[in-house]
Amino acid sequence: MDWSLFWLFAQQGLASGIVVGSVYALLALAIVMIFKTSEVPNFAQGEVFMAAGYLALFLFVFQGQPVWLTVAVTLVVSFLAAALFRRGVLRQVALASGSPVNLVIATLGLSYILKGLVRRTGFGDTPRSFPALVGTDSIMIGQASVTRLDLAILAAAVAVMAFVFWLFAYTKVGRAMRAVGMNPKAAQLMGVNLEKIHMLVWGLSGVVSAIAALLISPKILMTADMGSIVTMAFAAAIVGGFSSLPGAVVGGFIIGIVENFVGLFISSRAIAVAPFAAIMLVLIIRPQGLFGGKFAIKKV
Amino acid sequence: MRYIYLLVAVAALMVLPMLTTGYVVYLANLLLTFTVLCLGLHLVIGECGQFSLAHAAFYGIGIYVSGLLSTHVGWPFPLSMLAAGLVAAAVGVLIGLAALRMRDIYLALATFAFGEAMQWVFLNWRSVTGGPNGLRIAPANLFGWEIITDKQAYPVVLISAVVMIALTVLIARARIGRSFRAVRESEIAAQAMGIDVKQTKLAAFGLSAFFAGVAGSMFALYSTYIHPDSLGFSTTILVLTMVVVGGLGSIGGAVGGAIVFGLISELLRQAPQYQEIFYGLILVLFMMYAPKGLFAFLGDLWGRLRHG
Repeated sequence: MDWSLFWLFAQQGLASGIVVGSVYALLALAIVMIFKTSEVPNFAQGEVFMAAGYLALFLFVFQGQPVWLTVAVTLVVSFLAAALFRRGVLRQVALASGSPVNLVIATLGLSYILKGLVRRTGFGDTPRSFPALVGTDSIMIGQASVTRLDLAILAAAVAVMAFVFWLFAYTKVGRAMRAVGMNPKAAQLMGVNLEKIHMLVWGLSGVVSAIAALLISPKILMTADMGSIVTMAFAAAIVGGFSSLPGAVVGGFIIGIVENFVGLFISSRAIAVAPFAAIMLVLIIRPQGLFGGKFAIKKV
Repeated sequence: MRYIYLLVAVAALMVLPMLTTGYVVYLANLLLTFTVLCLGLHLVIGECGQFSLAHAAFYGIGIYVSGLLSTHVGWPFPLSMLAAGLVAAAVGVLIGLAALRMRDIYLALATFAFGEAMQWVFLNWRSVTGGPNGLRIAPANLFGWEIITDKQAYPVVLISAVVMIALTVLIARARIGRSFRAVRESEIAAQAMGIDVKQTKLAAFGLSAFFAGVAGSMFALYSTYIHPDSLGFSTTILVLTMVVVGGLGSIGGAVGGAIVFGLISELLRQAPQYQEIFYGLILVLFMMYAPKGLFAFLGDLWGRLRHG
């Protein structure tokens, strides 16, 4: 491969990687915020994302609702459904046994239920694309070609990230969320309503996943299995340290860029295995990720 | 008394193929294979408390190793079965070595990633596995005697399953089984009692993979074809569901879960559109109301009914 071609590939890979990476980063944020507050990796995050995408598709394409209503209903329903799952199901699971393994298995159950429900509706039978709301004419940045849609995705994703950071860093409810993550008992003694915080975090992560779905759906073929994109988000979260919000964002961009580089420089078949290789490498070499602190054993 | 029940059960299973049709025998083969898979997962999760989500990968390694050995090399099946178990166990110990540095969620994700990566290898290593075309498996043989039908395979499958169940009971009662449970309850306390935690974990991963490899070899006995699609995360989840439905942490639970849930999932084949929803509901409802499994739940219910 000669130098100029290499340079062209590198620029294109970087540009595409940053765009798709911003969506991975959103999903990774959704996973990490739940993990931070309840130590549960939500294996259903990808299916929440998928179901929200189909809800939007149903409202916008099949019902012909206006854009603002589609977005508003999708976000509200995602918030309520995720919060209710926490309140109605996970609370009972925690009461019944309290073991984190059981909570993880319950989220696996949710992922199957959502996938099955979407398949039942029949919309998932043929792969569809969500119509792009922003033009898809391309713009050259350096030698990389990106579409206006790409730029809109990136801008929206960055805005959501900024909102999440503001919420966690500067608001009272964000402080409560962090406190619950550090020490639930102490937080409760300080007057934090644990169950309310858990519901809020789940609802928020549902909204962030729904936004990720709205952003990426015009670019991909939607199927009931599109939730498998979440492995990229898990890889991103692990690269970032799994309990760090900035880590999730940086990890998302890294995974997006690496994915594109692997596709351009190695082979498109290798893309499928890249995230798993990344997960294993990071966990073996540096289990705490780039941003995680030292491992500490909490209890004997 | 318990032994008499067991003997009756084994005798009944022995005469099963004389009384029924090929489909029932095929189903029995499948359930016995799932039983061994569940025992393997029981050892690593139920006994030792280490989360492993790569069971389907070890199962696949077992299928390919024994399938390739009997197809291309013509090894007699007891040898290829042993080889399948040992190769899977070797890979399991390697994963265990990597897993020594991790706990809980990190371990779950690392083993999940390994499982998915292995499925990719099965799909893309065309010269060995046939890639997306799948692999035809030649009939297993033992010194000229060929196993072609489900009924011919059944006695071998049944004996293998009984041997593996016995092995699990022996492991649970031996020093190593007690070490597993000590590590599960508290690694620090186990270490203080003089248990080598690292070796114990490696043994758990190796043994679990050995069981999965043998199960794969059992599958290769009565099947003529394998495709990588059936060796992914959903198979791991199926086995995990069986173990959870039966009751995490008990041998009877693992065996019972494999049979009860294996039958349920075979029935669900009639209604594939509800399969996923039903799996999901079972996982969620069991975690909510019967986290100790079906048999403990029924036992509690029975006790409450009898004593008011």
